[in-house]
Parts: sequence; structure tokens; C-alpha cells
Amino acid sequence: MQAAEEKLLQWTRFYQRAQTILNAGPRGLRRLNGAEITRLIDDYQALTADLARARSLGAARETVDQLNRIAVAGHNLLYGQIRLRESTAAARGFANFAGTVRRHAWAVALSAVMFFGSAVVSFVAVQLHPSLAYDLLADEFLDFDPASPDNLHSIPSLARPVVSSLIISNNIQVTLLAFGFGLTAGVGTTVLLIFNGIHLGSVAGWMSLHGKDRALWGWIMPHGATELLAICLAGAAGYMLASAIIVPGRLRRATALKRVGGQALTIELGCMVMLVIAGLIEGFVSPSDLDYASRIGVLLASVALWALYFFGAGRHRGEHPDEPPSH
Amino acid sequence: MDERVFISTPDHVTLEFELAGPGSRFSAYVIDFIFNVVLIVIIVLALYAGGAVVSLKSLLGAARSQSWSASWILALMVLVVFLINWGYYVLFEGLGKGSTPGKKRVGIRVIRQDGLPIGLREAALRNLVRAADMLPPPSYILGGLVMHFDPHGRRLGDMLAGTYVIVEKFALTAQGASGAAWASRVEQGRSREALTLPRGAISPQQIGLIERFLGRRHELSKERRAQLAWQIAEPLLPLLGEDRDGVARRVDRGERCEWLLMQIIELAQNKAPAISVAEKTPPAALF
Repeated sequence: MQAAEEKLLQWTRFYQRAQTILNAGPRGLRRLNGAEITRLIDDYQALTADLARARSLGAARETVDQLNRIAVAGHNLLYGQIRLRESTAAARGFANFAGTVRRHAWAVALSAVMFFGSAVVSFVAVQLHPSLAYDLLADEFLDFDPASPDNLHSIPSLARPVVSSLIISNNIQVTLLAFGFGLTAGVGTTVLLIFNGIHLGSVAGWMSLHGKDRALWGWIMPHGATELLAICLAGAAGYMLASAIIVPGRLRRATALKRVGGQALTIELGCMVMLVIAGLIEGFVSPSDLDYASRIGVLLASVALWALYFFGAGRHRGEHPDEPPSH
Repeated sequence: MDERVFISTPDHVTLEFELAGPGSRFSAYVIDFIFNVVLIVIIVLALYAGGAVVSLKSLLGAARSQSWSASWILALMVLVVFLINWGYYVLFEGLGKGSTPGKKRVGIRVIRQDGLPIGLREAALRNLVRAADMLPPPSYILGGLVMHFDPHGRRLGDMLAGTYVIVEKFALTAQGASGAAWASRVEQGRSREALTLPRGAISPQQIGLIERFLGRRHELSKERRAQLAWQIAEPLLPLLGEDRDGVARRVDRGERCEWLLMQIIELAQNKAPAISVAEKTPPAALF
């Protein structure tokens, strides 16, 4: 049957052609000239017509499956350009991060309340009832003396790269968990923020009870602003996911999640960059023999820089009052 | 969880995907887990060997920098292990069109809800929140429950990223030939095959039954519909010149039977003696 062989050849050729262009990468389609593209589209339309006929006239399951698979290849080829455009939109990156944080200030505020709130509460609690510290802190923190030479305050310079990378990976892990646990309707995120807040607050409370607070603050200040802010932002990213689950509005929960996902990811990726910066400071600057005044200077400088960035970056592009399209 | 998901494209083509079940997804996960561990071991050993070379050189008196290099190599090791742990899925799925080595082996793949292959963005979203699906770690109970109740079998990460995990099966096999023959016949304006029916072979009662079935078949459940179609069509198969056992074994038995029943009704309505539909044109709307 002549026509049938031609048909099969036509399908096979279209499939192989689509695969070749797809494998050539995102620019594969650009290399074709006008006539080639027209032909490709014609072939695709002929194929989808065959598929529609096969379905509605009841062809064998295998035939439908086969045509369907070829149509998928054609669809991915012809519509794949959509994704290219999306990825360039997502790559606005730097200013995008600040803008997204500004749009979700409520989540940042909630996260900060959970984190710093529990820190302040546990700080005061340890001041009032010092014995609480024995329940809240591990032994190494009870005996911890920031001023002693064999402690974090003076990490030997040799160990600094290792300590720095350990700190970076550990902190990023914490933010990834705070972000991901947003999917437990925010319960996991809250638990994580409160635990970390309590730890921070009770260490600070214990140290200040024992007159080691100056050394402790001296150690925390250079990297503290960047690191704690990043953890708050990761909590905010988690709460954004939680809000899609708890109050999806008129959308289905899965749809609401999908809408907010891209923006939460932007914040989470920004946090990672901030934590790399904080980890480098914590590994190399905080343990150095910088004097107390310069440490305050580093703190003020980092606070000013982040404030400038988060309140200023991307403003001139014009704020997007609504959610950007994310499909 | 349904077996299939249908995606409607902007040009009104319906693409059909078979969803991957928990079983195949779990086996892919196990393979990936092993692969992940092997990868980490290889890289750590390579860095370790690199460190050994460095310290050997400095032993030979090349430099005082020995411990510094060792420290940096150790730092690198920490970062690489961390990166592989969190980045394995993101990188493989993001750059490999939704496939990891494990998924490839099992024959499944991640796609976006619009049918396109996923990119780095979707891969990052669905994999960086894995910890939530894994709750309580490492059981995947939460993710498994969500998958079970979602009609598209998505875990939380899939919902967040807007992705499906589907079965990838394809080979242009011998089946293609008969399908193509069928399609070319249809295109030339003839439907699948000639169906003949001796006059009066089917009683008016049977015709009535078939008509009632066809009229309300869309209200029936999928299983019931296929079952009824088979029950009604079975005694008629010999009359239609169909091989009973052959039809019984077909995957699309229900659909095939329905199609036959529809042909019978058309024949009955045409009221022609010993009719053949060989020259019947498919509805124009399809073209």
C-alpha cells in the first residue's frame, strides 16, 4: 500500500526531525529558515489532524499512543520558545529579589516576629531564671567562653576556610528547611524559627549573665546582620508557601502554590547568596583580631547596605503591584 | 490517582500522558540514591587524592603552604558534598529535561503542566522542598499521602513547581505500519474497514438496547461502560465477522466494542441491505 508507507515515512521523518532540532538545544529552531519552519508547522498540523482522527474514529490504542508521542515532540519543539522567554524574565535576578521581598513584607514581618520574638523572650527568661539555661543549652555553650583562645572567637587562621564552608552549608541547609517546611502549612517553618530564636536568645542571655556579652557581640556583629536577616527572609519564603495552603482564596491550593512558588524561590535563592557572604565574614572577619569599634563599623555598614538594597533596588523599574504572571 | 493526564495545547490538540505511579517513582528514587552516594564517594576520594598529592609536594620541600592547601581542599570537600546532596536532582532534572539517571532507567520523566519539559526553575522548586515531602524523615509519608489523594499523583513539590511525573514510552515499532495504513485510508476518505451485516440479523430489541446504551454511556463509570459495551457486543461479534477471542484480549476492548455498536446503529439507520460502510466519509469537522 503506497500511501500507507508514505504516511509512516512522514510521521517518522517529522519525529526524527523534531528530535534532532530539540537535541540541538534552545537555539535549534533559530537556525531554520522561513521555508523550513513553515514546512515543520505544516507537518505538525498534518500530524495532529491524524491524531485527532485516530482518537475520534477509534483507531487502535497503539496507533493513538504513537501519534500522541510524536505530537508531544512537535509541541515541545514549537512551543518550547515560551520557556526561553520565561527564563530571561526570571533572570532579572538582583533587583527582582529586593522587589519580591518588598511585595511580601507581611511574610518577612511574621518571620521576624517568630524568630526575634522567641529570641527576646528566651533572653529575658534566662536573665530572670538562669537555671533555665541548663535546660535550653548544650554543655559546650554553658562552658563557652568567647574570649578564650581556643574558641570560635579566635579560630586559627588555618581552619578558617573549613569553618567558613561548614557554616555556609549549615546555614543554607537551615534556610532550605525553613523554606520547604512552609508546605506543612507553616508549622515546620514556625518550629524551626522558634527553635533557632530560642537558641540565639538563650546563648546571648547566658553570656550576658556571665559578663561575656561584649566578647559575644563582638563576635556576632560583623556577620550577624546579614545572617539573621537571611534566616528571616527564608522563613518569609516558607510563610509565602504556607499562605497559599491556608488561604488560597478562590484558587485551588495546588494552583495557589504554583503561583507563589516562583517568587518564594527567588527569595530563597537570594538568601543563599546572602548566607555565602555572611559565612565568609563569619569564617574570616569575625574571628580575626579586629577591634571592637571596627566590628561595630562592619555591622553598621552591612545594615546600611542591606537597607539600601532592600528599600531601593529595582524601584525605578516601577513596582508591580500585582503578582507577575507565573505560568 | 488517575492513570492519565490530558493537556490541551493552544492549538486545541489534546496531548495525553501516562502518569507514573508511586512504584516506579520509588524505584527511580532508590537508583538515584545509590548513584548519589557513589558520586559523593568518587568526588571525595578524588579530592582526597588531590590533597595527598599536595602534601607530598610540600613534603619534598616545595612550599610551606601545605596545610593551607589541605585546609582549602577540605573546605571544598564540605561544599561539594553539600552541593551534591541538595543539587543532584536540581541539576540532573533541570539540565536533563526532567530526567535523572534513576528516572531514565525506570523510564519516567518530569514535565510541566503545559506539556513542555521542565527547566532549572521547576527542578529547583520541586526538589529544594523535598524535605517537606519526606516528613517525617526519611519516610516520605506526607508526600506519599498527598500523592495518593491528588488526581494527578503529585507530591507537594510537584504542586509547587507545577509539574507531573509521567511515563516515557516510545518506539517507532512495527505497530507504526498498521497505524499508518489506517491513517492513510482515513485520509483518503474511507473509514477503518468495511463492516457488513446480513439483513435482519439483529432484532429491533437489540437495536433498542444498543441505542439506549450509547445514549447514556457517558454517565457510566469507565469500568461499567467498558463492561456493558463488551456484554452487548459479544454475541454480535460473529455476525460482524470479528474474532471473538481477538477482541476479548484487546486493551481497548471497551472502545472497540463501542465503535462496533455505533457502526451497527449507523447501518440500521441507513436501512440498506447488506451494507458496507467502506465508502463512508468521516465527519467533515475533523479536517
